[in-house]
Amino acid sequence: MLRDRLIFSLIYNAGAFMQSRNFRLQRVGDINWLERNYKFQKISFSLDELIVVDATKENKDIKKFSEAVKRLVNDVFIPVAAGGGILSLEDAELLFNNGADKVILNSTLYETPELAKSIIEKYGSQSLVASVDYKLVDDIPVVYINDGSVPIAMPFDEYLTFLQALGVGEILLNSIQQDGTGFGYDLSTIQEYGQSISVPLLIMGGAGNERHLLDGLKQDGVSAVVTANLFNFIGNGLPNARKYMLENNANLARW
Amino acid sequence: MSKKIFWCSSCLNMSTRPRIAFDEKGRCNACVWTEEKKELDWSPRQDELSDLLDKYRSSNGSGFDCVVPVSGGKDGSYVAYTLKNKYGMNPLAVTVRPALSLELGDENLQNFIESGFNHIHISPNAKVMQKLNKLGFIEKGFPYYGWLIAIKTAVIQTAMNFKIPLIFYGEDGEVEYGGSTESKHNPLYNIEYMKRVYFEGGYDKVFESVLADEEVKKGDLAFWQFPTEEQVSSNDLAFTHWSYYEAWDSYRNYVVAKDHCGLKEKEEGTAGTFTNFSQNDQALYSLHAYLMYLKFGFGRATQDAGIEIRRGAMTREQALNLVMAYDNQYPHEFLDLYLDYYEMTKDEFDAVLDKYANKDLFEKIDGIWEPKFTVGEAFEI
Amino acid sequence: MKLVIVDYGMGNITSIISALNYIGQDNVVVSNDTRTLNDADKLILPGVGNYATAIAKIRKLNLDTQIEELVINQKKPILGICLGMQLLGDSSTESGFNSGLSLVNGVVDKFCKSELKVPHVGYNQVMPSQQSRLYADIEGEPDFYFTHSFKMLSKSSIGQSFCHYGEDFIASFELDNVAGVQFHPELSQKNGLQLIKNFIELF
Repeated sequence: MLRDRLIFSLIYNAGAFMQSRNFRLQRVGDINWLERNYKFQKISFSLDELIVVDATKENKDIKKFSEAVKRLVNDVFIPVAAGGGILSLEDAELLFNNGADKVILNSTLYETPELAKSIIEKYGSQSLVASVDYKLVDDIPVVYINDGSVPIAMPFDEYLTFLQALGVGEILLNSIQQDGTGFGYDLSTIQEYGQSISVPLLIMGGAGNERHLLDGLKQDGVSAVVTANLFNFIGNGLPNARKYMLENNANLARW
Repeated sequence: MSKKIFWCSSCLNMSTRPRIAFDEKGRCNACVWTEEKKELDWSPRQDELSDLLDKYRSSNGSGFDCVVPVSGGKDGSYVAYTLKNKYGMNPLAVTVRPALSLELGDENLQNFIESGFNHIHISPNAKVMQKLNKLGFIEKGFPYYGWLIAIKTAVIQTAMNFKIPLIFYGEDGEVEYGGSTESKHNPLYNIEYMKRVYFEGGYDKVFESVLADEEVKKGDLAFWQFPTEEQVSSNDLAFTHWSYYEAWDSYRNYVVAKDHCGLKEKEEGTAGTFTNFSQNDQALYSLHAYLMYLKFGFGRATQDAGIEIRRGAMTREQALNLVMAYDNQYPHEFLDLYLDYYEMTKDEFDAVLDKYANKDLFEKIDGIWEPKFTVGEAFEI
Repeated sequence: MKLVIVDYGMGNITSIISALNYIGQDNVVVSNDTRTLNDADKLILPGVGNYATAIAKIRKLNLDTQIEELVINQKKPILGICLGMQLLGDSSTESGFNSGLSLVNGVVDKFCKSELKVPHVGYNQVMPSQQSRLYADIEGEPDFYFTHSFKMLSKSSIGQSFCHYGEDFIASFELDNVAGVQFHPELSQKNGLQLIKNFIELF
């Protein structure tokens, strides 16, 4: 039986890792901090996948970022998806060569969809995750690009259809309003739109504790739950969360 | 005779906290109150609020109908914003300038004012403030004692001078975070309560001490004077706290302040905790939090974790990890600033810290007080 | 033990090397050089991406004839991973009809069931065949990481173990010195690490 997945996301910013709250970033620590407080090699055995996103606002350095990705990949034996600032096929190639199994595109999917097409052509659909950030405006989800700052005109459901037509492998839906709040996922939006998505759906934004993760997985149509909450899952937070989810019959892989 | 030290079964409040109490399930009064808040029928209190506001709304000559003490941070901003926009009141926001104010704090205060509020900035005599703060630091382990008094006294004086009888403080920290519950069901409180509980009875003594300093004259202490009981009743002054009328939710306050009053966070994070969106106005807060840690065994991270647990954002297990990672933080970041401000050497400064470190809880290793206990594991002293 | 990862420009080599190092295999080389390939004790054929592109690259580098020689004549053990496994079969219909290396009988086609999400992505359970060497010391119906839109089926007996995703398809095969896994053992936690170890020790 195909399993659901528990995914941890790291937000990278100029050499440090960040905590995000409604897309406002707080510096938490560098990779040494991460290795000390998360002991990545150990806790990765309680994760199904890792996502690393470069959220640096000014002077993105994809070479430096890819080095950070490589270091993280060395510690884990799960798929790693990397993204943030991929503007060319060469950028994607650099990340793949440094150990990324998938790349993530966000704003470029809307602004220059040809890039997505060329990546899919060279590496296959399964190599591309489409990241979609959204906010509810008058109860209707609106897609925002450029680090959640600019709304797009295309309606939400049309955009999802557009992405699937492009051939992306998976879609990652991220609620800007729930982000970092610990209020739990935006389940009502996911409920409304999740069923009609024909590629695997990953949800993100708002998970603070293991209950939120479990509730997210129980939603029909959700293939994976993602959290970037570095603080809340520090130490043995992730292994404990996975244990809790398995005890409550979550359909997760077993090792 | 040995004493058991333990943690709340639901959050991580420690039994050492002054005025804390626990129920038969081992839950502290803050957690019990959190549960009660969920079941509580708030409508009678909402009615009380409406009546109170109706009584005072735009009723007096100056045009302002209530005073809201603010610092530019999330809580005061939330209360001022809500009174103005939801209840149609005309608040006068008042800030008492702290010593060693931080750039981010100043920026947040400016943003708050610019978001559309009438505001008065009171600067009590900085020299006297320094003496009071230093006295508080040495005599009581309260590094900004002078300011703690002034945010009550100077605000009340301002209200009296503008003939605004109604003053809205934010939350009653004792009720919300695990202290005395005596005002849990009282909307209004009085000067006697402030002196007894907030200043822990030290007000009179500190006054005596500072007047003994020949540089200080009685007139210099004008902003630190409480009005007399006659003045309070003849001015019909009412001090109340918002947390009585509406379930206090400091994270909600943060979101509203962020969205409507221009609140910004500290991007590099704050020492001693994992949050970055509170207490960004003055450098002395970190010292205050560190002294709390040395006296009682819990620091800022424990406080913040408690808030997160009680609002359902994380579990106690998760919080344990955070407290262990962040609670113990000697205030290196502002040390030079403190030494300069208090006109002390590091040895003199550390000697004061040593005085307040609870030796049953801590031992000094390599010049830093380290806990003898493991967070969450009950022990005896 | 000299391990050579066949280099034809496609595949996540980093993770495979990481996994091999983790289980104590340090003598690992990535190459398409004839002499290096000849010196190998065992071969690994990685692969991520498009079948048509991959087989074209392999042929261009003459790797098809070399692999046939090394595996069929010299009996060097080879493990094909993901697309690498598919390339060891007869053919695939991805981006048009292309013939493969034909080291085993097997045909690759797209997943057809329309109600299921394609690509097949995530951990899924494998039902190990009887007396399988690949799954030695791995219990039950273990989870492995799959990510593919095309799957292999075979009319022959090639020691196949199945996975189910709308239909039963080949998760792995093992026939003498030729093994292939559709999933990524280097991305499958402890199960994957054990499987790689089994390939090293039992083939």
